[in-house]
Amino acid sequence: MMKRRDFLKWTAVSSAGLALPGGLCALGRMAQAAQVPDLVVAKGASTPQVVRAALDAMGGMKRFIAKGDVVVLKPNIGWDRTPQYAATTNPDVVGALAKLCYEAGAKKVRIFDNTVSDARRCYKQSGIADAAAAAGAEMVYMDSRKYRDVKLNGTVLKSWPLYSEIFEADKVINVPIAKTHSLSVLTLAMKNWMGVMGGVRFRVHQRLDESLVDLCRVIKPTLTVLDAVRILTANGPTGGDLDDVKRLDTVVVGTDQVAIDSFGATLFGMKGSDIGSVKLAAKAGLGVMDLSKLQIKRISA
Amino acid sequence: MPDLTLTRARRISQGLFLALFLFLFIQTESKGTDELGWPVKLFLDFDPLIFLTTFLASHTVEGLFWLSLILVGLTVLLGRFFCGWVCPLGTLNNLAGSLRKKRPKPPGPGWFRLKYFILVFVLALSLFGVQLAGVLDPISLTIRSFSVAIYPALSYAATSLFDGIYRLNLPVVTPASEAVYDVLKKTLLPFQQPWFAQGTFIGLLFLAILGLNLVQRRFWCRFICPLGALLGLLSRHSILRRSVSEECDSCGACVGVCQADAVPAGKEKWRASECLVCNNCDDVCPKNAVSFGLLKGRPTGGLDLGRRSVVASFLAGAFAVPLLRISPLARPRMSDAKIIRPPGALEEKKFLQSCVRCGECMKVCITGGLQPTLLEAGLEGLWTPVLVPRIGFCEFRCTLCGQVCPTGAIKRLPLAEKQQVRLGHAAIDKGRCLPFAHATPCIVCEETCPTPKKAIWLEEVTVRDREGKPVRLQQPHVDLTMCIGCGACEKHCPVVGQPAIYVTSAGESRSEEHQLLLQAPTGQKATYK
Repeated sequence: MMKRRDFLKWTAVSSAGLALPGGLCALGRMAQAAQVPDLVVAKGASTPQVVRAALDAMGGMKRFIAKGDVVVLKPNIGWDRTPQYAATTNPDVVGALAKLCYEAGAKKVRIFDNTVSDARRCYKQSGIADAAAAAGAEMVYMDSRKYRDVKLNGTVLKSWPLYSEIFEADKVINVPIAKTHSLSVLTLAMKNWMGVMGGVRFRVHQRLDESLVDLCRVIKPTLTVLDAVRILTANGPTGGDLDDVKRLDTVVVGTDQVAIDSFGATLFGMKGSDIGSVKLAAKAGLGVMDLSKLQIKRISA
Repeated sequence: MPDLTLTRARRISQGLFLALFLFLFIQTESKGTDELGWPVKLFLDFDPLIFLTTFLASHTVEGLFWLSLILVGLTVLLGRFFCGWVCPLGTLNNLAGSLRKKRPKPPGPGWFRLKYFILVFVLALSLFGVQLAGVLDPISLTIRSFSVAIYPALSYAATSLFDGIYRLNLPVVTPASEAVYDVLKKTLLPFQQPWFAQGTFIGLLFLAILGLNLVQRRFWCRFICPLGALLGLLSRHSILRRSVSEECDSCGACVGVCQADAVPAGKEKWRASECLVCNNCDDVCPKNAVSFGLLKGRPTGGLDLGRRSVVASFLAGAFAVPLLRISPLARPRMSDAKIIRPPGALEEKKFLQSCVRCGECMKVCITGGLQPTLLEAGLEGLWTPVLVPRIGFCEFRCTLCGQVCPTGAIKRLPLAEKQQVRLGHAAIDKGRCLPFAHATPCIVCEETCPTPKKAIWLEEVTVRDREGKPVRLQQPHVDLTMCIGCGACEKHCPVVGQPAIYVTSAGESRSEEHQLLLQAPTGQKATYK
């Protein structure tokens, strides 16, 4: 049996030992921060590993999530489709991110989207509900009472009802999927914020690019993770034909939504300047469109 | 006392069956997959009136309907135990009747015969091809009333209450009420508020049925219920019989407590066909002279309905058929634009002969788009389901309505097959469409079109605005070879009020005569899982 004195000694030594690596970690992080890239493009067969590697290359999830944070993950779950059709964010990406958030000390991870098809079906069929459950994250159905008119003072949208939780959460991570769209050309990170709009949101299509830029004036995610594990190259954003799906096994991580979208365009053989919302957002100073001005780190995992 | 326990057993049975009924009703809702996990139409499967009338009208038999033969067999042996021990509407009638303490006077002697005339009328209708039994069948009626009226109203009341407390934002009270609301939303309340045309009307009719219990307890069961009448006919020679011993001094205590019109004081004149086996007469007898038992006493209960009255009821039913069929809607090749039937629905005439108006499909429809008609499909089509896309569209990957239909009026189709079914076609109103009429960009119909290759395609055009300035935009077109008429475009069209794109039944695949194209569309390649 351990004596009391021995026990005290033992705890003192072991806590010092525990504290030490933590201190080292912080030092390491500071050193890392100096060389953290603007974008990380990670590729690999195992999606959870790709996500983890990408975040590591960004300096680790702890750089973004603090202990006790309430984190919102906002995937694109707009349609009643299964993952292989690339109409909704890959569930493995969402699950891996939720896990990383918890590992970084998050208190709660909440996941939602204002879906176009029935929310029950979207959540379940996309695989995201199951991935969330496996990671211990909360899958939340949007509560119609929680939209608040938010002042946007944009060029088109002066104010719009937006889901209040994304402003109340400590951290917000945008998790879009890369797809085609006949009006916005592509739907990537910026367009994904339509999923927190209430009201008659289909009206914004009349001036979609400006409206998306207006949204992004007030919605500033901590992190954006673009899912390009599979991309939808035609008949978007709903899809439904496997011939339109291209497998890239890629995840793009960054903090600048405009940069992410500009890079996302290249996945479809386009340039950022081909996307109206990217051009306008860069002009409005919301981010960088010119990829040559960005430090992009490509890794394979 | 063993007698008392029988009455109590009956009450427990009623409670359990009502609970089962409500449980299955609440489970008639999607949880995100294409399976419900429970046999939600079980009560309808056991209903011999639904079975018989559907068989007579459409000459079809759905697999599970053989369950109703079990009820037939049990009724032949045990009498109308279903009415007294099982029927959820009967139990609700019991509950409503107990709201008035004093029992009303027993009714006139012949009134109970009315339900037999109704039964004969309904059977004659179905024999000549009109299925309207579901309008009065107690199981259909109760599910329909709950689906489109009672449940939505309760949901509305609960939501208003909890929303009110939420808005007040009181300390302690609001968090507590939100916690309760959360639990209710996951258990008893619907996923979203249902809205139904006819909801108010059907709700009032149901409340009227319950209200009639204040005039006469179990008014519906005694005088109107055609299922009760059918079971009554079957139970005339049941082996579960009531006997009255010599002890009986005709005190009349049993007269007032009889739930129906079985004439318990009549001893020999006791009507087996009217007895609900409720055991009240046994329970109340001060001499304990009444008892129920197998093959006890003598079989009694002649049921003299009067031949002329039966013939008259039959003729009324028979003549009602041509009277209903002279509606222009029943004309050959008639196609009504707004009669958009659920996916897998039979051709209209067959559909009307099979649909029992139970409302299961409306309850389960995840978008709430299936609505009951009033007279839009003719009186013969009363309360049948039509898709109203502006309220809710047909979800591309959902087959639930076909799964819950008890009679096969909506066929149960595998998903790949259902996705090929055309409910009709979409049409664009160029006078309202933003890119056509107002030089304003909009692609929402195309965006929400769910077919793998989109049935709505966009044409790049340059139009001029009022100042003559050129505007580049995309104008939508409908490809009839691909459009399935699901109504997603109509539902989401941002042109409020009358939409700029809308579905009509023209081109619906269930009718050869309603095709729009010379060559029927071959459909899309079925890659979708």
